[in-house]
Amino acid sequence: MPPVLALDSISKSYSQKVAVRDLSLAIEPGSMFGLLGPNGAGKTSSIRMIVGITMPDSGQVNLFGKKFHRSNLQRVGYLPEERGLYKKMKVFDQLVFMSRLRGLSESVATQRARSWSERLQISDALEKKTEELSKGMQQKIQFISTLMHDPDFIIMDEPFSGLDPVNTSLLQDTLVELKNQGKAVLFSTHRMDQVEKLCDSICLVNKGEAVLSGTVREVKSRYPRNHVIIHYEGSDAFLQFPGIAGSRSFPGSSEIELKPGASAQDLLHLAAANANIYKFELAEPSLEEIFIQTVGGRVDA
Amino acid sequence: MRNILLIAKREFIERVRSRVFRITTVLVPLGVVAVMLAGHVISKKTGGLNHIAIASDNASLATITKAQLEASEHPPKTIQIVSPATPAARAQLTQQLDAGKLDGFLWIAEQPGQPQPQATYYTRNSSDFFSQALLRSSLSIASLRQELISRGISPSEAKTLVKPVTITTLQIKAGKAVKTNAERNFSGMYALVFVLYGVVIFYGTDAARSVTEEKSSRIFEILLSVTPADNLLMGKLLGVGAAAMLQVAIWVGLTLVGSSTALAAQIGLHGLSSLGITIPELIFFVIFFILGFFFYSSLSSALGATANSAQEVQQFAFFIISPLVVSVLMMAYVMTNPNSITSIILSLIPPFTPIIMYLRICAQTPPWWQIGLSIALLLGAIWGMIWIAARIYRIGILMYGKRPTLPEILRWLRYS
Repeated sequence: MPPVLALDSISKSYSQKVAVRDLSLAIEPGSMFGLLGPNGAGKTSSIRMIVGITMPDSGQVNLFGKKFHRSNLQRVGYLPEERGLYKKMKVFDQLVFMSRLRGLSESVATQRARSWSERLQISDALEKKTEELSKGMQQKIQFISTLMHDPDFIIMDEPFSGLDPVNTSLLQDTLVELKNQGKAVLFSTHRMDQVEKLCDSICLVNKGEAVLSGTVREVKSRYPRNHVIIHYEGSDAFLQFPGIAGSRSFPGSSEIELKPGASAQDLLHLAAANANIYKFELAEPSLEEIFIQTVGGRVDA
Repeated sequence: MRNILLIAKREFIERVRSRVFRITTVLVPLGVVAVMLAGHVISKKTGGLNHIAIASDNASLATITKAQLEASEHPPKTIQIVSPATPAARAQLTQQLDAGKLDGFLWIAEQPGQPQPQATYYTRNSSDFFSQALLRSSLSIASLRQELISRGISPSEAKTLVKPVTITTLQIKAGKAVKTNAERNFSGMYALVFVLYGVVIFYGTDAARSVTEEKSSRIFEILLSVTPADNLLMGKLLGVGAAAMLQVAIWVGLTLVGSSTALAAQIGLHGLSSLGITIPELIFFVIFFILGFFFYSSLSSALGATANSAQEVQQFAFFIISPLVVSVLMMAYVMTNPNSITSIILSLIPPFTPIIMYLRICAQTPPWWQIGLSIALLLGAIWGMIWIAARIYRIGILMYGKRPTLPEILRWLRYS
């Protein structure tokens, strides 16, 4: 099966600024893809080219194995970062309107609006106007509106912002379910923990260019296992261990980066001498650390 | 095309269901009726003498004066004749006037050797020009009739002799004399021009405001991933236009029904024709209303796409309103000089065409080629305006922050 999305070195500049430069990536069906990057890195600009809001200056966008054509957008569902709903319109009418624009018949749209709102527990809100609802509710409505036409390719820009943990996991489960049905999901966020948990592959963009890409496994295996996570009670004197390159301390826990060649076992002995250790883990760097390390202090915006 | 209609339907329903639509649909006709009734009541009042008395030693003169007054446009309700005019009668009349039983009394004293009598009008009002003018003309003619009778002319002949002369005005047009419509009632036409003016401004800025609102709520981000920008623009214009037309149709319908009711008949209205509107003029009104609406609303949607907030929409509303204001200011001139060079040129410039050409058509049918040319030019201008608007719109709705300058907007037109 051809990739659902293939970007072939696309570039886009606005009058003074290069927004995206030579970006290439591919997303396979049945996978979740994380598009990461600091603010202003070019994530939204890239997504806008994927959904035909803007055209790349050079390079090519391929959807479902074919050169970009608007007709294929009916198989794409896009949830933008900035939420847009008609404030004065009833939720139900709004869901039906958006799905009809995406080619559904009125009866199918009506039926799906009902079943989706049951699934995401918002049936009570259907007869209300958007402006009467909480931010989290609006978020769920927008989420449904993105999925009602049963798209094969789902683009979600910060889908969980403003949601409580219960609703976040409800939406996460839904996305995983869709992925397992063979849909491709492009997921753009700053939340590295979510990416780590959900995504199969990632692409990290900075200043319009891809700086890291591959499967989460590949990306992480490029970095040495030199991270130690200690959960403890007692003295933190072990932080004086000479083999420590850097550390971040939290109440009752520390994340430590070891110098190349330093022994984690020595560190464990030192720590156990002065404190009760509940957990000692020698880990790969988290995506968050890789992100910070790669983008570093070079973040502007 | 399917999406254009879906968007148009949504815009139409949103407007028609809104409170503003319901309120203006009802209040505007109510306001017009109130103004007409008030005008009618005031005109009755100002021409208004209810109960007056005429006192004269010459009973025949008093009777003829009464007859003249009763034949006038606004006859008093009751006219009492007091003859002979004695000092006691004057005292009694003064008392009645003071008590409010009389609005006034006319004291006529004949002057020996002179044809005109000496007359004094006693009233509670300090100045009532209408009544004075009415009394003066009635008494003058009455005294003339009296004088004619006293010189041996029969009363009925005397009455016929003093009848005023009617003047017909004819206009020379291409060497032929035709009837002018100087006496025609233009109130209906003025009302339609103001409807065109008001509705185009209201719905034009409404279109701009809703573009800005969708921009600030970022709905475009989703809509544009579903359908192209020109579809959104066309859908919006059609939907807003349909709502505007429905409202005007309701108003015109109410006028048609209302003007033939008994209430309307009381204030001198009998159907559409007494408002001075003919069916061809109504058809031209619809044509110019639709064209004017599309011209101005596409202009204002384009400007709306460059703005970030409703306040910024206010700032450029001036550009939309000024050609319409100029057209309305030119109204009197165009009505009296429908075929002057200025009127012809103005009526062919698209922003002015809807009002000026409509006025010219009402004043005196212009040559058909001019009507045709003005419509063709306006259609061309609408096409160009929508072309420009779609480009500004497509880029403008994604631009946030600083308001673009004119050179920047011109650069947008060259994109793709």
